[in-house]
Amino acid sequence: MKIMRDSYLFGSGGRWQRLTPLFLLLPGVLLYFLIALGPSIATSYFSFTDATGLRGAPVNWVGLDNYKEFLFQGLASRDNIAATLRTLRFSALVTVIQFTLGLIIALLLNQKLRGRTFFRTLFFIPVILGVVIQGLMWRLFLLPRGGPMATMFGWFGLQSEFLGGQPNEAFMWVIVVQIWANVGITMVIFLSGMQTISEELYEAARIDGASNWQLFRNVTWPQLTPAINTNFLLNIVGSLQAWQLFYTLIGYKPGTQVLGYLVFAEGFGQTGSPAFRQGFAAAASIVLFFIVLIIGAAANKVVSWNEQRYM
Amino acid sequence: MTQKLNSLIGIFTGGDSASARSRRLKALSYLVLGIIAVFYLWPLFMLITTSLKPLTEYLKDPAGLPTAPSLANFAEAWELANFPQYLFNSAFYTATATAIFIVSSLFVAFPIARDYFKGSNIILTLYVIALFLPPALIPQFQLILNLGLYNTRIGYILLFLINPIGMIIMVNYIKSIPRELDEAAAVDGAGYLRYVLTIIFPLIRPAVATVTVLHAIGIWNEVILPTIYLTNADLYPITRGMIVFQGVYGNNWPAIAAAVLMLMLPILVLFMFLQRYIISGLTAGAVKG
Repeated sequence: MKIMRDSYLFGSGGRWQRLTPLFLLLPGVLLYFLIALGPSIATSYFSFTDATGLRGAPVNWVGLDNYKEFLFQGLASRDNIAATLRTLRFSALVTVIQFTLGLIIALLLNQKLRGRTFFRTLFFIPVILGVVIQGLMWRLFLLPRGGPMATMFGWFGLQSEFLGGQPNEAFMWVIVVQIWANVGITMVIFLSGMQTISEELYEAARIDGASNWQLFRNVTWPQLTPAINTNFLLNIVGSLQAWQLFYTLIGYKPGTQVLGYLVFAEGFGQTGSPAFRQGFAAAASIVLFFIVLIIGAAANKVVSWNEQRYM
Repeated sequence: MTQKLNSLIGIFTGGDSASARSRRLKALSYLVLGIIAVFYLWPLFMLITTSLKPLTEYLKDPAGLPTAPSLANFAEAWELANFPQYLFNSAFYTATATAIFIVSSLFVAFPIARDYFKGSNIILTLYVIALFLPPALIPQFQLILNLGLYNTRIGYILLFLINPIGMIIMVNYIKSIPRELDEAAAVDGAGYLRYVLTIIFPLIRPAVATVTVLHAIGIWNEVILPTIYLTNADLYPITRGMIVFQGVYGNNWPAIAAAVLMLMLPILVLFMFLQRYIISGLTAGAVKG
């Protein structure tokens, strides 16, 4: 059987020499199957077992037990279901705010302003700092006693325990930091979309006497469709899977976990009990996977509807 | 609705002469940008002032400016946080894994981009699919554990040898290099290996730079995987070291702030020089979420 196509002209000599590209390709592809694709697929297998984190410990098939425990076991499932709903709430809030804020910043920075490079760089920098720096920076900034945010709250007669407060309060501050850390990407994607819009369109509309709002509504927004769609999808899928800031900002605190954190905490003994419940964690990550899949598909529908409308 | 918004904008923009209008719009823009910028500059400013204060002064007045700024906290954090060792580990993991990833994926991306063998499209599809599959976290752990590579440098590096998005960026970039070049080189009798390494590799430098910084930043910033895979403190990368340090010296914020700044510095320097590649890589790489 011939594996190499006729367009491949190198090494016309021996048969083995002709197969050089395949030998060189093998390490990369094998690594990929071994470390990424294989384990990714095997997650569903482990979700039907009682796997632990002990080397050589037997892995028994337990059928749907993990899923039952996750969803249908009354009180025991309550926290899991709460974490699932919290994931949806987190995602909805982050998506809406980050999208809107990113769009506003991009609109402002798309003008001929002095210092726009400075602002753009400033808002983008947190993206590359990683969750450890982001987390520690905001833990310092949000210290309830003497921290800058507490001082600012004081000006308005407000008080807050911030990350150490009630679960709902702490949860809200994680949302703030999540948006603070990632709005830079949304902004950059919007900005690069705006730079592709031809200036002539604006001039023509201005000659017709269009107001600023009309310019935005009838020129910028429709022309921005690809960037809007990209950001919409990225924000939804990204925020459904985000959880690492919870880890660096507040740790595993009852009443604040989202699904991604639950997977990590249950699987690697971070819930307060040292047990590695990897079968259960795998089941939880499959649940998260289906949530992302369903919501992602729905979002994709919205996106293609939006494209038909404007393109 | 539209009319209302117009009149609302009119409040800020005046509505008299066009130049006065645009001046007011600019002033408003600066105001909004300035307010947002406060939340980016102030945390950084707080980090710097805190790092320059002695602990006693910090405990008395956390928010105030340092009365006698000193770098003592940096020296203290450097010692206490075992910085030299952790920095070495981070640099070692980042450099090794990135180098292996770039070279191995170059030889995957090139023949796929050229469709030089049957089934190359299937392999590319498998890379794209991975972006949508469940996370590999649990089975990956079982694999590393049963290979006996848990808590070893090799096992940890192994986790970072793949990057589907990086691969896709490289494939797309190679497609923009004319195929005639391959033909000319082949006719001249160049070997495949030498051609890819000495002709293609330099030609796709922008893509390689983008993928390299994207991948390297990801490894440098990673904190979950070291928490899972490394229990021996001698093997910790700097991120894990920071979390442990923060756990031990929880209230010594001056030392923590100094440590955070030291951790930030290399990333910021890299950013200043490679901003273009980082932004293009992250906007492409943001697909991963």
